[in-house]
Amino acid sequence: MIEVANLEKHYTVNEKEPGIAGSLRSFFSRKTKTVKAVDGVSFKIEAGEMVGFLGANGAGKTTTLKMLAGLLHPTAGMAKVAGFTPFERRSSFLKTITLVMGQKQQLLWDLPALDSFLVNQAIYEIPDLEYRATMKEFIELLDLDGILKKQVRKLSLGERMKCELAAALLHRPKVLFLDEPTIGLDVNMQVRIREFVAAYNQRFNATVILTSHYMADVTALCKRIVVVDKGHIIFDGDLSALIERSSPAKIVKLELSKIVPREILESYAPVKSLDGLFAELLVPRLETSKVAGRLLSELPVADVTIQDPDIEEIIGELFQSQKVKP
Amino acid sequence: MKLEAKIQMGLLENLWRKSKTMFALWFAHMTVYRAEIFIWMLSGVVPLIMMSVWIGKASANGGTLENFNAASFAAYFLAAWVSQQLTVAWVAWEMNFQIRQGELSSKLLRPIDPLWEHIFRHFTERFVRGPFILVVVIAGTFIVPGTKLTPDLWHVLEFLLVINLAFLMRFLIQYCIGTLCFWFENATAFDEFLYVLQTFLAGGFAPLEFYPPAIRAVVEWTPFPYMVYYPAKILTGTLSSSETLRVMLITLAWVLAFGVLRSILWRFGIKKYGAVGA
Repeated sequence: MIEVANLEKHYTVNEKEPGIAGSLRSFFSRKTKTVKAVDGVSFKIEAGEMVGFLGANGAGKTTTLKMLAGLLHPTAGMAKVAGFTPFERRSSFLKTITLVMGQKQQLLWDLPALDSFLVNQAIYEIPDLEYRATMKEFIELLDLDGILKKQVRKLSLGERMKCELAAALLHRPKVLFLDEPTIGLDVNMQVRIREFVAAYNQRFNATVILTSHYMADVTALCKRIVVVDKGHIIFDGDLSALIERSSPAKIVKLELSKIVPREILESYAPVKSLDGLFAELLVPRLETSKVAGRLLSELPVADVTIQDPDIEEIIGELFQSQKVKP
Repeated sequence: MKLEAKIQMGLLENLWRKSKTMFALWFAHMTVYRAEIFIWMLSGVVPLIMMSVWIGKASANGGTLENFNAASFAAYFLAAWVSQQLTVAWVAWEMNFQIRQGELSSKLLRPIDPLWEHIFRHFTERFVRGPFILVVVIAGTFIVPGTKLTPDLWHVLEFLLVINLAFLMRFLIQYCIGTLCFWFENATAFDEFLYVLQTFLAGGFAPLEFYPPAIRAVVEWTPFPYMVYYPAKILTGTLSSSETLRVMLITLAWVLAFGVLRSILWRFGIKKYGAVGA
């Protein structure tokens, strides 16, 4: 459904020293610098797949999405989405995709969301019957009842985001580019949006690329992740594979009924932390059950839990070391 | 019905539906801003001020000046003011904002050229502006005795045709300026420059009869007199039919020229779009 090969986007930016002297210098001779926002990115995404794009601010995630949605003209490389070249922005291509960008809106600020929906219905040439069916479904899934006739400017951030999402999906696109769709929302609203995206993907077998700063969005929705750093892909694969490859140990959390010296704990596995009766051990994945069994039978353990290391930590380490290669 | 005819009907139906919905939406939007529109109208008051200046000059000169008396000056400047009001375009400013702020992105995602949204915004705004224009025209004809806009329905129809072409021309010139924002960081300076030229050369400052012949000859080769001066002459019924036809054809030619230029600028400019901020 999506195919990208050696995609690049370079920007020219003006540079200026601060202060009056800098301004004067820049007035007569302007210094420019080329920034490689995306620098040779390649990947393929199958129909119906949900892929999470992760990366720090300025890593190139959004620029990639904008190129795939046809907003930006690539400097070099090839991109195909549903068989179309995005930048040509053919009508049938635009009816196949949608791009939801955080809080940037397509809804008209001074009118109720319903007015914007009607315009989208006309522009996307959605038949009445299909429009009514989709609206009914969205009203239910996103709990839009009672907010569609209010002026958009009077809606809360969460309500607005739900309306934005509904407006963006009214034409039932097959490819969704979601750039920070839950930014600034409270936890309940984030969950609601996530559930909605998952339901939409199921219902229409839609292909989804999602970027988010909330790791929970990505872990809840995407099996596959692409990690972007400085315009390059530094990891592309299963989320679970990333966890296994970059963190070969699981965390065994112990609640002890009596104090146990660190040396004894170290004899089982490296100690991540020890605070009175609470200890965390880093146990190699393959030995987890064996070590846990020994701990339970040989030490005064009141409770034990085994978990994967925090995904945010893993990604953080990945950026530090770039040790995982695709 | 043949398949081809059915498809054509479907296309027409879609077109009608899009137009109807866009009209309803932007009309609703513009009515929200009715007070603001009234204030904007006040900013186009130059012809009304110039009216009193020229009437004063005429009466100081014994009542007439180059075949213009108080009533014909009043009629000309009222008509000039109406023409200016009906051709107002601010699309350069809107594009400047949309390109700089990245708001163009959400427009580019839709399967419709953003040009149409701008056209509908301007078109529906005329309907909100209309009642105010009517009030000023009626008041104006009462204030200066003998002031008459054309009583001939045919001239009014000619005026409506010419003024729509003039609007399209002014709109497209502004659109071309707006696209410059793809290359320059800010295109409002071009817009300001255009505004100054328009103020002095379009006919809102004085009828072209009062310009030195050499300057008038140059001005005639620009689109400016076709924005205000000629439409005003038609509305006051002081332009012959053959002259009116000439004005229509030249305005149409300008529309086509700027239409083509706009397409070229858009096609190249959009590749430079950075979609910053959105």
